[in-house]
Amino acid sequence: MTTSALAPRRLLPRRLPGASQELVLLAAILLIVAVVGWINPRFVSPNNLTTIFSGNAYVAVAAIGMALVIICGHIDVSVGALIGVLATISGILVTKGFPVWMAWLVPVLVGGAWNAGLGAVIAYLKVPSIIATLAVLSILRGGLITATGGAWISGLPPDYQLAQFRLLGLPSPVWFMVIMTAVAAFLLRNTGFGRAIYAVGGNREAAEAEGISCNRTIVGVFAIHGMIAGVAAVLFATQLQVIQSTVPNGLELLVITAAVVGGVSILGGIGTVTGAALAAILFSAIGSSLIFLNVSAYWLRAVQGVLILATVLADMARRGRAG
Amino acid sequence: MRSLLALFVGTSLLATPALAQTPWTGGDDLPATPLACDATVKTVAPGPYNGGAPTGAPNRAGKPLRVVDIPKLVGVGYFASTASGIQQAAKETGSMTVTTDGPTKANIDEQVTFIDNYITSGVDGILFAANDPVAIAPVLKRALKAGINVVGYDADAEPDARQWFVNEAEPNGVAKALIDQLASEIGATGSFAIVTSTFTTPNQARWITEMGAYAAKCHPKLKFLETVEAQEDNILSFNQAQTLINKYGDGLKGIVGMTSVATPAASEAVQQNKLCGKMAVVGLALPNAMKPYINGGCIKSTVLWSTVDLGYAAGLALRAVADGTLKPGATSFKAGRLGELSIINQSQILLGAPKVFTKADINDFDF
Repeated sequence: MTTSALAPRRLLPRRLPGASQELVLLAAILLIVAVVGWINPRFVSPNNLTTIFSGNAYVAVAAIGMALVIICGHIDVSVGALIGVLATISGILVTKGFPVWMAWLVPVLVGGAWNAGLGAVIAYLKVPSIIATLAVLSILRGGLITATGGAWISGLPPDYQLAQFRLLGLPSPVWFMVIMTAVAAFLLRNTGFGRAIYAVGGNREAAEAEGISCNRTIVGVFAIHGMIAGVAAVLFATQLQVIQSTVPNGLELLVITAAVVGGVSILGGIGTVTGAALAAILFSAIGSSLIFLNVSAYWLRAVQGVLILATVLADMARRGRAG
Repeated sequence: MRSLLALFVGTSLLATPALAQTPWTGGDDLPATPLACDATVKTVAPGPYNGGAPTGAPNRAGKPLRVVDIPKLVGVGYFASTASGIQQAAKETGSMTVTTDGPTKANIDEQVTFIDNYITSGVDGILFAANDPVAIAPVLKRALKAGINVVGYDADAEPDARQWFVNEAEPNGVAKALIDQLASEIGATGSFAIVTSTFTTPNQARWITEMGAYAAKCHPKLKFLETVEAQEDNILSFNQAQTLINKYGDGLKGIVGMTSVATPAASEAVQQNKLCGKMAVVGLALPNAMKPYINGGCIKSTVLWSTVDLGYAAGLALRAVADGTLKPGATSFKAGRLGELSIINQSQILLGAPKVFTKADINDFDF
């Protein structure tokens, strides 16, 4: 691909400061585990570490898709609503007697198809993604409440509870998080499409000049993002024995925050999916440590806000846009 | 990274002094009025009647009534069960025909339109559960002006826009039901933690304050550990309950769920940790959400009000105002099989103690 020459140059500034965002996040997680574990050894019990890793796993999964969208130069504020809708679709299918595999697969396909359409509107009709996805957020949120009347879905069969399955002692959401992040990171780095995502987000004109179809890349990214949101929705729906068929409040912000704090530049063209997963784990670790340290959970929001600001400022400084 | 550490330690220090102030975090600062430890109901004077009155209503005593019931929305289990209670009242009095009709989503504009149409078509009585107490008031006042009897239930309107309101539960009643149930499940000296929405959510904060006051009075040896926030988010509620279990281990005997989201989520955490029978979950929740845990025997109970009784009392109250037997100034109301209900807050009929749903009867309810 002709983009191979372009992408590494774009990636270069991220590595300059010596420590990448991933290493900073990893260090922060280890530091929290060490300090809080030292204060209260129960914090580092296998059970609690499992809770920390699995607590935000579905957020980390959704953040993979969000990272792709942001790297590609766009944003999607409707992902929380989409996850709510897809989770409800999954729950309705299984309670109506459709086979479990269908209840798992259909949300992934519907999410992919829906977001491909959304991506097409953004790419071909040139609607700014923040506007288009804000509109979709309202449509999905309103539509969901109208369709379900806010009623919850209960009576889910036990073999449907994908998120409760364990492998080698770890809950399945952790496996989904790790494997999907690894696969996405590999594909992003080693395929033409992956490099095209960086190119389109970094410099659209240059990407076009290199022969990349920006519009097709954007539609593809949104479609993949939708499918990943479908996986996140299934993990969300199958964790408890009842599906709250409303949109989880502020989920889209949590997903975007994980991607941004994970080192994805909000300006596009830079970032990895690994950082997003680490950021999601960091939030979970902070949330858990607040309980262990008897600190009000309000600080979680504040800490997240500070982390966003710090990351964005650091990103701008790296790009030489801050004085 | 250094800034992160500083921030982290700093926030811990900042928040520590606040912990010492109130024994039960998450409550509000308003005074509490704990109920008696036993089941005796202390009668408090309801105060002067502040409900409205229909103008020029014909004498309806003993005459057949055409009544319309307009809940927040139709097609959900909750209001289907209040409607069935209203039908029970209609059947028992033998002289009311009640139609339940309303918007398919909880929308105040549509609800107003429904009420307007029924005023025009001419009914004797209107039962309602308001989507918005202020926005529904004008149309209900029009109904009163047209001589229609108006009684609310579940969600009130401004008092002068209706005659009576059947109140499903007062905060001190909810507190008593939860704490009595908790003490019966974890023992008089058991330790517990609370999972709430946020520390500033008005209903939950009120209940927590009332719970603290009632526990101090009637179950003084119960050991309160802490309150954690979980918004109204089921995954976060699950994670918070899970973290409490990790933090306290055997030192935690019970979790109190303050929201209909937190209670099933905490139950799920207890079940996944294989702590059924060792750790209790007590809380407010819809029966349907708790059926998997209660039918499976992991959790013993869930606390709410009986929606059937709520509709039944509302139906009887409407018959009684039309008959003129429930008048301003009343201090109690005879509600058929429910017995004598207290009048509170000037023009409200209190349904009584909340209902504790158990394995024995939870499957009789579908909401």
